[in-house]
Formats: sequence, C-alpha cells, structure tokens
Amino acid sequence: MDDSTTSPAQTAKNCWWRRAYDVLSGFGLATVLLLLLGLLTWFATLEQVQLGLYPTLRKYFDWRSVVLLPELNGKMVPLPLPGGYYVSALLLLNMTLGGLVHIRKGWKQVGVMISHFGIIFMLLGGGVAHHFSERGNMAVGEGEISNTAEDYFEYVVEVAEVNEEGLTPKIHVIRGNYLTDLEGSARRVFNLPELPFDLEITGYFRNAAPVSANERAPDKKQPVVDGYWLLEKPDEINAEANTAACHVRILHRGAEPSAPFLLAGASFHPFTVRHEGRVFTVDMRKRLWPMPFDVRLDEFTAEFHPGTSRPEVFVSEVTRMENGGEAKVTIEMNAPMRYEGLTFFQASYGPPGAGPGDKMYSVFEVVHNPADKWPEWSLYVVAFGLTFHFLQKLAAHLGGGKRKSKP
Amino acid sequence: MKSSSLPGRIVAAVLALSGLAAVFYNLVVDNMPKGEVREIKEYEVWPDEIIELASTLPVQNGGRIKPLSTQAGFTMLGIHGARSMKVIGKDGEEHKLSPTEWMLDTLFRPELAVQLPTFRIDNSNVLKSIGVEVRGRRDRYSYKEIEPGIEKLIELAKTYEKIDSKKRDPEQQQVVDLGYNIRNYESYLSYFSFARFGQQISKEAGQQLDLSRVMEMAPRIMSDIRAAQAEGRPVDAPVRFLLEKVLDASNFGKFGLFMLPPVESEDRIWRSAGNVIMDTVTGEMKDPATAIGDIKAMEAVAQSVGDKKQFQEKLGELHERLSKRADNRGEYSRIGLESAYYEKNWFLYALVLFLMGSLSAFGMWTMGGSKAGKVLSWATVGLTAVGLGYCVVAITKRCIIMERPPVGNLYDTIIFIGSTVVAISLLIEWMTKRGFALGLAPMLGTLLIVLARRYELGDAKDHMDPLVAVLRSNYWLTTHVITITLGYSAGLLCAMLSCFYLLVRGLGLDGGDKDFRRSLTRSVYGMVCLCLLLSLVGTVLGGIWANDSWGRFWGWDPKENGALLIVLWTLAILHARLGGYIREWGLHLASVFTACIVAFSWWHVNFLGVGLHNYGFTAGKSTIWVFYGVMAMFLMFGAILRYLDVHAKALRSQVKEMPAGA
Repeated sequence: MDDSTTSPAQTAKNCWWRRAYDVLSGFGLATVLLLLLGLLTWFATLEQVQLGLYPTLRKYFDWRSVVLLPELNGKMVPLPLPGGYYVSALLLLNMTLGGLVHIRKGWKQVGVMISHFGIIFMLLGGGVAHHFSERGNMAVGEGEISNTAEDYFEYVVEVAEVNEEGLTPKIHVIRGNYLTDLEGSARRVFNLPELPFDLEITGYFRNAAPVSANERAPDKKQPVVDGYWLLEKPDEINAEANTAACHVRILHRGAEPSAPFLLAGASFHPFTVRHEGRVFTVDMRKRLWPMPFDVRLDEFTAEFHPGTSRPEVFVSEVTRMENGGEAKVTIEMNAPMRYEGLTFFQASYGPPGAGPGDKMYSVFEVVHNPADKWPEWSLYVVAFGLTFHFLQKLAAHLGGGKRKSKP
Repeated sequence: MKSSSLPGRIVAAVLALSGLAAVFYNLVVDNMPKGEVREIKEYEVWPDEIIELASTLPVQNGGRIKPLSTQAGFTMLGIHGARSMKVIGKDGEEHKLSPTEWMLDTLFRPELAVQLPTFRIDNSNVLKSIGVEVRGRRDRYSYKEIEPGIEKLIELAKTYEKIDSKKRDPEQQQVVDLGYNIRNYESYLSYFSFARFGQQISKEAGQQLDLSRVMEMAPRIMSDIRAAQAEGRPVDAPVRFLLEKVLDASNFGKFGLFMLPPVESEDRIWRSAGNVIMDTVTGEMKDPATAIGDIKAMEAVAQSVGDKKQFQEKLGELHERLSKRADNRGEYSRIGLESAYYEKNWFLYALVLFLMGSLSAFGMWTMGGSKAGKVLSWATVGLTAVGLGYCVVAITKRCIIMERPPVGNLYDTIIFIGSTVVAISLLIEWMTKRGFALGLAPMLGTLLIVLARRYELGDAKDHMDPLVAVLRSNYWLTTHVITITLGYSAGLLCAMLSCFYLLVRGLGLDGGDKDFRRSLTRSVYGMVCLCLLLSLVGTVLGGIWANDSWGRFWGWDPKENGALLIVLWTLAILHARLGGYIREWGLHLASVFTACIVAFSWWHVNFLGVGLHNYGFTAGKSTIWVFYGVMAMFLMFGAILRYLDVHAKALRSQVKEMPAGA
C-alpha cells in the first residue's frame, strides 16, 4: 500500500504519542509492573530480617531509590530492580489510563472500572498517608498530664533562650528535613532573626555517637571537638533507636564565628551558648509534637490470661482536657481515641515487671493521617466492583454451559 | 472424558499409590507408638466410670478452664509424641491407654507410671550423653529407665539453656526439651505425694498425720511461731520439723494441676494443692475452711487408690465439689463438650472418610462413565460430604468451646483451609460435573488433615487456648481472618487443579478431550478470580484492622506482604491473560506457582522471626521446602509438556503444508 493512502486514523495510531499511550495503558506494562512490585515486595520481606524494616523500606520504596540490588542472607543478588516508588507511580498511571480511560465502556466492564477506581483511590490514600501523615508516641504516667508526642524518627535542632527563672519560654526548631542532606562537607546556615546569632550546621549523621578521643582515636580523621568526635554507626535494625548527630558553629553577627561543637541525639545535655550575659541552649533531640488538647492518664490496667503471661487486655482510662472542658475516654487495643484528626492508640506500657500497686505509665501511638479512612472507603468500592464483575462472569459461564448442553 | 492411554494410566496408578503410601506412612508415624509394647505385670486398667470422672475434672491451664483430659492429652502429646500408648497388663492382654488413663497412673499410681514408655527419644545420643543404656536410635523410654541419668540431664539442660535457642544444635535442643519434659512429668508424678500417706509429724517413725489435719492446726502453729519470735527464742524443734515437712509437701504439689477454683468470684486464678497448703498454713488463705476441705477430698481420693470402688466414690466426691464451685463461677459449662470433642476424634474420622473417598475417586476415574464408575462417583460424593460434615461439626464445636470464630492460630487455619478446599471443590463439581473436582476434594482433604495432625504433633500445644490482646476481636477475626484464609484455600485449590491438569494431560489420561481441558481451565480461572477477590478484600480488611490496632494501615510486616504477594500475583495472571501473553498452558503454569506464593504467605513468613504477626514457631520448617520442591517439579513437568506440545503442533503443521506425494 502506498504511504499516501494512509488514513488520518491510521496515522494517529502510528504516531509516537499514540504508541506511548498504548504502552502506558496496556496489559503488558500492567503485568510487568505487578510482577516487579511482587518481586520487590518479596525481596523486601526477606531482607528486612537482616537489615531492619526502616532501612529496607528506604532501600526498596523510597523516592530516592531509583535502582537497587537486592540481598539475600547478606549476599547481593545480581538483579538490578527499579525502585518501588517509581514502579508504584507507573502502576498508578497505567491503572488510570488502562483501567479507567482506555478501557472499553460497557456493562461488562462496569465492575472492572469500579474496582480500578477503588484501587487508585486506595493507592492515592497510601500516597497521602506517606507524604502527609505524622506519627509519634506519648508516654504519660498515672495521674499525670501530657500534651506532647515525640516523633519516632525525626531529629531536630532546638535553640532556646533560658530566662532568669531557668525556663525556656520560646523554642526555635530546625526541622529534620533541613538537616538530613547535610552529610559530609555539605553545610547550611540557619538565620535566627529573633536571636543574636545564626547557626551553621554540617557533618550530619543519621546514626552516630560522641566518643572521647582519650578512649578511642578517630579512625577516619574525624574532627575532634572539645575532646570528642562523632563515631558513625550503621543503621539500627530498629530504626527508632538511631541517634542523629551533627557539627555546629555559632555565627555571631559582626563577630568571629565560634569554634565548632558537636550536637548528638545520644547526649544527655544541651550545648550552652553565652552571649552578652544571655544564656542559650542548643540541643538535638527527637521532635516534640504539641497536641491541641491535654491528656491525663487516670488509670492503666494490664490484664493477663489467668496463670499466664499472655496479655488479655490493656486499658487506659484517660481524661481529655480542652478549653476548660473534660471528657472521659477509654483507649484499648482495637479501640483507639479519634479526635480532631488525631488518633491515639494503645501502644505500650510500663514500667516492666511492675507489681500490684506500682504506679504505671501508658504509651500511646499518636497519628495524624489525613487519609485515615480512605482505605476503608476504597475497600467497599473495590469489593463491590470485583464481586459485581466476577458474578457477571460466573453467570455468563453457567448460562453458557447450559446453552451448550442443550441438544 | 475420552479413553486414556494405558502407560499413562499405569504411571497415574503408581503415583496414586505412592501418594497413598506417603499418607499411610504419615498416619503410622503420627499414631502408632514406637518400641515394643511394655508388659507391666501389676498393671490393671482403670474402669470406664473412673476415666469419665477424671476426664471431666476442670483445671486451669494455658489461661483458660479446660477438662483434665485436654491437659492430659497435650501433656502426653508433648512428652510421648502420641495421644495413646499400649501396655500388656495383669490380665495378659494388650491395652491402649488414653491420655486420661496415663494421667491417672501418673497422679495416683506412680509406681506403675514410671514403668510406662512415656518419653519419646528421637536421638539416642541424648540418653548416651547422660549415661543411660540405649536401644535403637529412636525409641520410647520409661521414667525408670532414664532415672539414673536425670541429675546429669538437668545439669546439661541448664548449660544448654544458656545458649541462644537459635544457636543450639539439634542434640542440645533435644537435651533441653527432655530436661523440660522430665521436670514437667515429675510435677505430675509428685503432685499427690502429700496426700498418699500423710505427713510425718515428728522425727520418730510412725507418727503420721494427714496434711489437712496439719492445716487445721495452722493457727496454733502460727501462734507458737509468733510467740517464739516475740520472746526472742527459737521456734520449737517439733514445729520447725513439721513446717519443713509442710514446705516439702506444698512444693511437690505446687505445679502440674491448677484444679482448685477460688471461692471469691473476682479472683480469676485457680490454685494448685501446693498453693493452697502453703497459703493456709501461713494464714494468707481467705477461706481456709474450703481449702482444708479440698485437701481432705484430695487425700481421700489418693488414699483409696487400692480399692477401685472406693476410689470411684471419692473421686466422684472431689469431682462434685470442684465442678460445682467451677459451675457457680460460670466456668464449667463447656467442660463436657470439650472432653467429648477430643474423645470423639472428629478429624481422625474425617481423615478416614477422605481416605476412603480418595480410593473411591481413583476407582471412579478408572471406571469412567460405566455403571460401576457412576456408583463409585456417588460413593465419592457421599464419603467426601460426610467427611466434610465431620470437619464442620468439629470446627463448630471448637468455636463454641473457644467462644470465638474458627480461625485464631495456625492450627485453626489448616483445618479451616482443609474443610473449605473440600467444600469449594464440591461446589466446582456441582457446576462442572466433570469428576475432576470431585476426585480432588477427598485427596486434598486427606492431605490437609494429615498436615494438621503433623503440625499438632510437632507443636504439642493446646490450640484452643485464649488469644493475645490484639487478636481479641471477634469482628475482625470473622471478617479479615476468615476472608484471607478463604483466599489461601482458593489459591491452593487453583494450584492443585492445575497440577491435576498437567498430570492428566501429560500422562494422556484425558484422551485428548478438549472439552474436559477447557472445563478444567475455566475452573482454574474461576479459582484465580476468587483467590484475588478474597485475598484483596482480606488484605485490605487486615489493613483496616491494623489501622485500628497499631495506628497504621500498612506496616510492611511479612504476613501483610505475603497477602499482598498473592494479590499481585493473581492480578498479574489475570492481566497477562487478558493481554494474551499467557493462554491455557501459561495459565496453568502460573496457577501452579500460586501454591508457592500461598505457602510463603501462609507458612514461610512465620519462620522469618520478624513482624507483629510472627507466631514464633519452627514446626514444619523442612516440610515447606519439600512442598516448594514438589511444586517446582510440577512446573518443570509442565514446561516440558508445553515444549513437546508446541513442537508436535509445529511438526503437524509442517506435515500439512507438505505437497501431496512428497
């Protein structure tokens, strides 16, 4: 056939964007992506045994991980795989194009379309939770009140002026996302206009501890500050146990900068800065997260199945206090407190080995997740769509069988 | 189905017989005691009435109230490796002892009990290392035979206990296990020692007094002690001697059986005889009169063991006393039901029915559409349906006893999957009427119940014990757990149907009947869809539960990942099929691989030792690799078949294209 006779429709079909659209919305890509995601999930499941959950997730599903090499029992597998974040993003695109846009529209496809929509909604919920949710823990003793939760992972730098009463009425916080990229020689100056100095931070470590140079000499020429240097440690299997650290200098305005000093999450005390008779503290710690209300733990009960150490129920009786009002709430396993977009879960308790009459404390996991209920809603959609589709198929199969069996 | 090839039928018959032999071997390993049947000349069997009374005695164990027969059953399973043992008694006849009889001997006739072949030893080196004379590599030994080496055993076990359990070699682990079993057994053996002969109350021989009498004298003893302390003088020697004896007696009866319900309704912890003795003597018992009455009743039973009639009467009185108190506390209502549940052995009968159904199915397939074939077909339906009925009854009884939905632990999943696989297979048969699902149903039922029995034997734990706090939600156990477990059933069934397809096609048993193949393929496709639906819904429900319990929808926990893998795999199969990348062969090969993914999700992740769903068990670690191996063989077999099929088609088309006469 002569090229000049090609119809406009055929030309459109042959053009690159049409072919790209076909590929992006096609079953082939869907199959490959599903298999890749399965492979990534399988390797991540096995690798977390040795590497720990958080580092494994960072390796397999973080946006910074574009290509990775899996490991099995500590040995590298020579199979480069794309990062799970991009596989999931591409799958979302493929599902939207193939399962909602490209799909033939008709009664037979209604169930499939509904279920695709439900899964897209669910994945979006996952994305929203991943990027916008916050979580931390609040430990509160019986009879005590708390209004802050501590983040599980995020280390921040806090700068505060100590007043004459020894209090720190205002705390300036440098969030973790401004610190984590300051590894090696990368440095950043943080302007603190309300204070008489700025801070320069560099040499950030995700997990490190200050070591006395008298006890152990630096092994990689790490700078020694006030007789201490930072020993970088591999990530803990339980990532909550990581303790971040960094090097800091005080930049006095119109004067020479201070000598560098160390800040470490593993240190017990903050660094003290004196400036023209004023006293400031600079500290590195896990981020504290203020709650919009106070929580008082009235009573904590841990019950075990009789004669065993098998837990039966953990119950925290709390009072939520806000604007002078009080509300009694019971928090237990499978029954969290949801209020003002925050959810309090019964996570743990202590002290370990407490006996009858001992004062107990309860630990709540505090979560703010804008997509908290999205998975549940999407479940209804997906379940309805799939059930509708498969019942349709079953009916067709049974009907077809009967027709065929007729003479 | 069209007529099949003879060599294919022979291979199929050999395979079928091998399968049956494997099942039979498993059953033998499961149930038949090893070693020769012991002859104990003085041994007399317990009358049925006594066994009945003892088996329904309530005890607290594993965090719940259960019949003594249950505790005896699992203790025997853990120590002896079976729920029965054979002995030749006084009458020269062979008797099969039930767990309750074994427990009665241990508690009341220790002089006979120590001669019973109670201890299963899987590696004789364990006994050699403690200086005990051994027989074969694997055998059963009595306490009396091991007794000379017990001191050394306990010493060795204490040393090995200090080694991290993951780093112990199998022999060290067996020493630790045997040490634990010996201590556990001794706690039963000595439990009633306080009650048998009374307590010596003075250093001079012959002055015996029942412990209950000593307990009655407790206020006087305590006032003597207080007076001595007030006066700053030592406690009188006879009182000190008596106290030492009481302490010994209470220590011997401290563990083993927690059979005395507390009088106070708010007190949830039942007491052992030793607890009650010590608390009464020290004055800490809130209701000493009841405690003394309990001990008196126990003494009366122990002291009448020589006279069966009197023993029955005294045991009846003790039973009445304890069960009435338990009933007042609302803790006795399901004791009879549970005792009868284990006595009836529902799953063993179901297994026998499924085995018979499997034999009948082989006959049905061999006879084809003949009259005999039809009769066997109905026999298969009947046997399988009754077997399934047994499973349903047993699972229902378990639910009533446990007061929760059917699946709460791994053992529950096996029997539930076994039953649902059979039920779904029968449903497929009802829809297709081709005979393949009907034949597979009893075979899969057999395999899964054998697996359940093997797991129960390896684990030797009471799987009706209460659940931990986070699992205590009947709503989520009903929705998420059942849905996900049904997803496993559908996944396994689709894989087994595909294995059947490969065998039938590979061995030429279908005679090239395309309709038959199409029907099988459609069933597999349907099962893949069902597996996807159930796994997806189950996984998301699990996420919602996790969001309620732990504050996150998804935590990349191995169990969650396993469920996700099933979803992703079934989705990949369906998309590949829709895209035309796989057809009949591809669908079946992919479906066979589904079994590996289900096995990984269901079993394998539990061995990883991480995550919130980790059950922390090791039973069946080697079995999973055998299963993967078998599935890999099916995949290779299928791949070869596909290659040959494609090759043969290519040849045929070449022949067709050749000019006539060439």
